Amino acid sequence: MAQLYRPRGVTRRDFLIASAAAAFLAACGDDAATTTTAAPAGTTATTAATTTTAAAAVAPTTSFRAPAAPLSGDLKILLWSHFVPSHDEWFDVFAKEWGDQVGVNVTVDHIGVGDVPAAIAGELQSGRPEHDLMQYIAVLSQHEPSVVDMTDVVQEAENRYGTMLDLTRKSSFNPNTGKFYAYAPAWVPDPGDYRKSLWEAAGFPDGPSTWDELLEGGSRIFAEQGVQMGIGLSQEIDSNMAGRTLLWSYGGSIQDANENVSINSDATIEAVNYMKRLFEGAMTEEVFAWNAASNNQGLIAGELSYILNSISAWRTAQEAAPEVADDVFFTPALAGPATAIAAQHVMYNWIVPEADGVNVDAAKEFLLHYTDNLASVTWHSKLYDFPAFTDRVPDLDTWLGNDPFGASPADKLKVLSTATEWATNIGHPGPANPAIGQVFGEAIIPVMFAEAARGTKTPQEAVADAEAQIKLIFDDWRAQGLVGGGA
Amino acid sequence: MTTATTPRQPRYLLDNERVLAPLFMTPAVLYIIALVGFPFVLSIVLSLTDATVGNPTYDFVGLETFRRILFDDPVFRTALWNTFVFAVIANVLVVVLAKALAMVLVSDFRGKWFVRFLVLLPWTAPVSLATITWLWTLDSIFSPIDWVLRSVGLLDGNIIWLGKQNLAMSSVIAVHTWRIVPLAAVIMMAGLTSIPQEIRDASEVDGAGFWRKLFQITIPLMAPIIAVAALFGLILTITDMSVVFVLTRGGPTHGTQVLSTWAFFKGIEGGSLGQGAAIALFLFPVLVAVAALILRMARRREVL
Repeated sequence: MAQLYRPRGVTRRDFLIASAAAAFLAACGDDAATTTTAAPAGTTATTAATTTTAAAAVAPTTSFRAPAAPLSGDLKILLWSHFVPSHDEWFDVFAKEWGDQVGVNVTVDHIGVGDVPAAIAGELQSGRPEHDLMQYIAVLSQHEPSVVDMTDVVQEAENRYGTMLDLTRKSSFNPNTGKFYAYAPAWVPDPGDYRKSLWEAAGFPDGPSTWDELLEGGSRIFAEQGVQMGIGLSQEIDSNMAGRTLLWSYGGSIQDANENVSINSDATIEAVNYMKRLFEGAMTEEVFAWNAASNNQGLIAGELSYILNSISAWRTAQEAAPEVADDVFFTPALAGPATAIAAQHVMYNWIVPEADGVNVDAAKEFLLHYTDNLASVTWHSKLYDFPAFTDRVPDLDTWLGNDPFGASPADKLKVLSTATEWATNIGHPGPANPAIGQVFGEAIIPVMFAEAARGTKTPQEAVADAEAQIKLIFDDWRAQGLVGGGA
Repeated sequence: MTTATTPRQPRYLLDNERVLAPLFMTPAVLYIIALVGFPFVLSIVLSLTDATVGNPTYDFVGLETFRRILFDDPVFRTALWNTFVFAVIANVLVVVLAKALAMVLVSDFRGKWFVRFLVLLPWTAPVSLATITWLWTLDSIFSPIDWVLRSVGLLDGNIIWLGKQNLAMSSVIAVHTWRIVPLAAVIMMAGLTSIPQEIRDASEVDGAGFWRKLFQITIPLMAPIIAVAALFGLILTITDMSVVFVLTRGGPTHGTQVLSTWAFFKGIEGGSLGQGAAIALFLFPVLVAVAALILRMARRREVL
């Protein structure tokens, strides 16, 4: 009978021992994986260094200024994966080299632009942020209570480099609390990108210069040449920017200069009416499914006659479809009945969490170092990033007039020399406050245009519905003391 | 014999079930508390406050957030309706297709294991990766479906799957069904194999045809299993945001917006954390009731 109790095969004890051994080996395997993962990072650094060296003949040299006080510890930086990959290769080396010079161990984490809001929100809500310095390309004013005041950085930068551009100031400063919740040393213009051959055939050899010409020429191209236009009407960043640009050009705005809701106006209704006509004449339903990559895809495929985008789509086309890239030219903000201004395509807001253990001094010093080297920022982003302190990139106009990165013709980007005259901040004519940020995040403006364009609501209804949502949002943030107006 | 039937004293501590049971259970309990329980309680707390995404402090506002989303937020009502449509249609498709698939996969044919492997792939692939693949497949310019249809002369231009209301909703439902069907099929395969062979043999002897066996034997005996598969599908459909977020971000306008994506837009991208939590929690009581009902029904049939 004793045989009945003799262990046969694998006992539970054997199983536990084997499991423990397997877990140990798996843990070792993880270590090995980590080590393996570290290798490509080094490879990337080498590549970046090589790239930097290769371009050194004409690229700006990196300048270094010793920090005001000794620094130490770690500096972990979180930022988006730049639309121009060469920027990230340069930035990673640039940040680490600065860390080596000042005695700070710098780590840089890039994540996709769509993942940044959730990452920042999660880190700040946790109260124990993983990163000391975080960057995002849209409004961050909703995080004001959880971040360090950057006024001293702005003041020091202005002492060194002159006055910051008004559009970046309004993207990072809350006039109601007097706090710079972010530091915005750079930005990106949002010109119109048009296919010259198509527009020439439509009778506009230099592309459209007004919204009326855009409608006329775009409709003609769609009808006669079968190529549609690509202005997004979807829940994403490009559609948000395009909608605001049209709104302002018609004299409408989400808020006035004193942060009172002003969306429901004749000007806004007229802008919505215009978008409906533009959609019906020159676009297809694909604009309702627009995403951050749609501009690039459509332009490179030669399927779009005009987009509102930064130069990144065209830069991608330079490599993927050179014949298309050579045919793409740029326009400044189109003139509407009221004015000719465009939203900035991207804002670079840097924030430092207010929490124990955050290396605030190192973060602020790094931002000043970054500002000191804005010429390199612009260069390595292939003229995508523009400086908030214009004197820091004295060669910008020269580069735009004779593109070092292969534009054909070489002066194609010259139109961007005047970008500071026709670009403005999100929230114009007021600041980029948290209410403006929420209106942006919930894509209320593109949905307003899209509902009228699809015919599901009249322009008046679409504007009234948008106003109802926007007013509640402003009331909420005003109750928190972060938005002005309301009197 | 007396000696043989007396429970033997375990020789080692790890042979003692009083030790082993909690030892095995503890990781699962800790996992549920840490990754499900704590966030769940936190979201309930947040839904009763005016919390914003960047503010570490917040005030208790009672049910005001729920009142706001119910009566002042038209997008919420659209998202609620879309969630209902999305969940019902997707789950009807899941149950029907999974049942058919399970019947195919339990039958004997050459290469069955390879087919089973292929069928399970959609479930094993990371949801975001799989959905991005579908995003490309349904692209307005580069869709291979459009390309094939154009090549055979059935299409002129592009279908624009994600830019038209009905097509966008259909696409979202189809992709979600594609994801869930393998799981439901595996559950139903377990149910099919549990039907006693003598019942099948008896029905054969009685001359029952395919449809009669299906509707009078297989489906009645599998009803509790089908209900469990539907329950899984329902919960996975209502709580998932990846498919809608990646494919349409709720568009066109808010045509495919569902509660999970709207909660994200409201709470994280918009910054209104309290209202986002309220939106996310809104269907929780309904889900609990449906889950309790289905599990009770399954237990009554004594199949589980």
